[in-house]
Amino acid sequence: MARSNEVNLNECKMVVPLNTWVLISNFKLAYNLLRRPDGTFNRHLAEFLDRKVPANANPVDGVFSFDVLIDRGTSLLSRIYRPATAEEPQPNVAELEKPVTAEVVPVIIFFHGGSFAHSSANSAIYDTLCRRLVGLCKAVVLSVNYRRAPENRYPCAYDDGWTALKWVNSRPWLQSQKDSKVHIYLAGDSSGGNIVHHVALRAMESGTHVLGNILLNPMFGGQERTESEQRLDGKYFVTLRDRDWYWRAYLPEGEDRDHHACNPFGPNGRSLEGIKFPKSLVVVAGLDLIQDWQLAYVEGLKKADQEVKLLYMEQATIGFYLLPNNNHFHTVMDEISKFVGSDC
Amino acid sequence: MKRDNNHLQPNPDPSSSLCGGSSPGKANLWEEEATQQDCGMDELLAVLGYKVKTSDMAEVAQKLEQLEEVMCNVQDDGISHLASETVHVNPSDLSTWLESMLSELNPPSFDPFGAAGKTAPMGTLDDPFLGGPAESSTLTTLEFENNNRKHQKRGQQIFEEASCSDYDLKAIPGKAIYSQNTRTQPQTHDSSSSSTLNNVKSEKRLKSTSGSHSDIFPPPPAVSYGIPTDSVRPVVLVDSQENGIRLVHALMACAEAVQQNNLNLAEVLVKQIGFLAISQAGAMRKVATYFAEALARRIYRLYPQNPLDHSLSDILHMHFYETCPYLKFAHFTANQAILEAFEGKKRVHVIDFSMNQGMQWPALMQALALRDGGPPAFRLTGIGPPSHDKSDHLQEVGWKLAQLAEKIHVEFEYRGFVANSLADLDASMLDLRPSEVEAVAVNSVFELHKLLARPGAIDKVFSVVKQMKPEIVTIVEQEANHNGPVFLDRFIESLHYYSTLFDSLEGSVSSRDKVMSEVYLGKQICNVVACEGVDRVERHESLTQWRNRFGFAGFSPVHLGSNAFKQASMLLALFNGGEGYGVEENNGCLMLGWHNRPLITTSAWTPANKTTATSTITN
Repeated sequence: MARSNEVNLNECKMVVPLNTWVLISNFKLAYNLLRRPDGTFNRHLAEFLDRKVPANANPVDGVFSFDVLIDRGTSLLSRIYRPATAEEPQPNVAELEKPVTAEVVPVIIFFHGGSFAHSSANSAIYDTLCRRLVGLCKAVVLSVNYRRAPENRYPCAYDDGWTALKWVNSRPWLQSQKDSKVHIYLAGDSSGGNIVHHVALRAMESGTHVLGNILLNPMFGGQERTESEQRLDGKYFVTLRDRDWYWRAYLPEGEDRDHHACNPFGPNGRSLEGIKFPKSLVVVAGLDLIQDWQLAYVEGLKKADQEVKLLYMEQATIGFYLLPNNNHFHTVMDEISKFVGSDC
Repeated sequence: MKRDNNHLQPNPDPSSSLCGGSSPGKANLWEEEATQQDCGMDELLAVLGYKVKTSDMAEVAQKLEQLEEVMCNVQDDGISHLASETVHVNPSDLSTWLESMLSELNPPSFDPFGAAGKTAPMGTLDDPFLGGPAESSTLTTLEFENNNRKHQKRGQQIFEEASCSDYDLKAIPGKAIYSQNTRTQPQTHDSSSSSTLNNVKSEKRLKSTSGSHSDIFPPPPAVSYGIPTDSVRPVVLVDSQENGIRLVHALMACAEAVQQNNLNLAEVLVKQIGFLAISQAGAMRKVATYFAEALARRIYRLYPQNPLDHSLSDILHMHFYETCPYLKFAHFTANQAILEAFEGKKRVHVIDFSMNQGMQWPALMQALALRDGGPPAFRLTGIGPPSHDKSDHLQEVGWKLAQLAEKIHVEFEYRGFVANSLADLDASMLDLRPSEVEAVAVNSVFELHKLLARPGAIDKVFSVVKQMKPEIVTIVEQEANHNGPVFLDRFIESLHYYSTLFDSLEGSVSSRDKVMSEVYLGKQICNVVACEGVDRVERHESLTQWRNRFGFAGFSPVHLGSNAFKQASMLLALFNGGEGYGVEENNGCLMLGWHNRPLITTSAWTPANKTTATSTITN
């Protein structure tokens, strides 16, 4: 056991910068402490260890943020990020929800990752990522603090996503000048990417228009063990065992991984043929063990004649987008910027 | 993001750390300077909340590898121990945190005869985070080991949580603080407590000596040490209603008029606010009303009577204590730190700058009584402001605590001091005993900021505290900057702060408690907005500012760990199911917030030149 670990660790270190390796390995080991074999989760220790940052109404690098209580019943908070403008470099704290002024302002609803159990909208890694998206896409970003597993199983995360979408859609101050509509994009990484798909589904079903889906290393799976899962198990920070644990924690008790939440184009999935689904940008890391599922997702969209662009980053591991110290990061950020910019 | 640039080399060399150092061939002087200013911290990780020196990166990576190896080899028991028994401290400092976990899993040696016999931990089986009976027997064995390791290690940073309950401060809900028995209760002449009655000293009155110290402590220049004001401004909007926004705008406009000394306009606006407020519901209406009243007082120069009558103030304080978790959190987290600092000490002395009705101390005394090896002799010095009716309120509090002490068999000594200001205290008044004989803790809950109203006062107090040679100084303060130089800024900050606070009260079960709490907070609002100079005592400052003050004054932080965090979180569940409240760890300090907006912070300190097992020096 020790020897094969050695091999794994060395391989890992070859493909990412050292500080990235330190960051993700730290998460990996800390998360090992939090998952209990009986399926419960050490939430207190998780919250203690998670590095969080407060919202900040004072602009930093041209972006300011504030938290909003979207739904009191579920204590659903979201963090909103806005660009500081040249006219108002220091926003008036009474006017945080001042109407957007541009012809077209993309509003990106972001769902953080964490395999449905970890992290929050105010986790430092996600606060940082959302701030980047503001500048990158000249967008307003709303990061949803959705309820997490195992305390809150399917469909809580999707419900919260949907609540947030409805809220965003009904804010007059987020409407673009051009057509007095809110231009909505959904984005997320890992479990957040999974949430993007399911919230987009609900949006389509109820006639709410979503302009595009951005899925970064989205979390999908299935009962079958795919080739990539077997080949890459334990090699690049992630094991099949932990993937299984998170699905067991999120899915309804007794359900298996072919549940449509986990496997949207699987045996219990729903066909998207004939439905006007938003265009999708799907980013897959070549060293992510669940990539077969992610690629199957892309295929599923294609088969249903949906517009989808796949970005396959061959040498990328999970979490590559958390630090701007590698090529994959910059490539993906450029693509996201183009994806969001293209409807102007 | 300073480092977020596109000119990184195309093929990153993973074996060297890119960040923190400049990219080869891109000698950017500005970036290099910045690196030096950051003391060599990897900037990319720093942004994500982790403090790792670039030069330490390889070593940290090595520790991670070691830890992974050990975690693989250790059984699930070992991991569950690390998760539930170990006290984690300051996870931002990755290197130290990893080291501590490695030590946990790799004890240097095992001495089965080292520790005193331990009683079976109470409540262990009931603790949902430890699992059922099958796990607890395993934990008992590991505890035993831990106890020995503790004695062998020097300067360690983990406080071994001996068992969950021995050092647990159980949350004391409701009024389970005193028995209501009067002093006529017969006193048993128990040898351990026969000294208690004799030692309840009468209060000493201290004359205000603000003038006489000016030669020793010359008043500092107006801008003290260039203490930077906090530039982070957390805001949570809980009420996006149209009316709420108009009300806020009206309040701001009025405050602006006051700022510009346009009192005629301000007068007109403040009347409008009254009308607008009526149409509003819930917390926003109440907050607006208090702020409007405070503005009116400022405009009409009807300054509030200061200070408040003591008996009313006491009542308000107690209701605030019951209604919402802020005071309980403060007491609880401070007590946790004090308890840990007092570990192994036979005689302890707590000096409380915020005595009030002494509500913090029964829990500590009970925890000390249950301590492994028996309770220490406990001495309490309570300091408080004078009362108007000349009653001996500090004395009464002392009596009640003495009765409790007797019941729980803790040797107890008490002395009350009445002082107009903490700056009137001198170490010589406190009958301090040598620190080898008696360990001292200094405690201050929501009191320290008042000293900022008088030049030199805070410095005097820091100096006196150092003379007390405390093991620990526990401080709880409001997490807000209400002490900026510009009135309008203070107004805006406090409007947001108290709006959030009032919103958190809305879920209270008892409407009477709620009203009293609102009155209690309303007094603070009035002081922040309507008063100036020495009368404006509610000069709240943020953790960043307090960190600077303490650092400058020669104190080092003592970190609060995951056990305090967990227990504080559990305490919150008693209030409205805990919905909305949250505890956050911030570089060894604990913050309590409402919907992610931090509202109060507990921090702990020790004089910098003191090296004790409980201090952790950080940059």
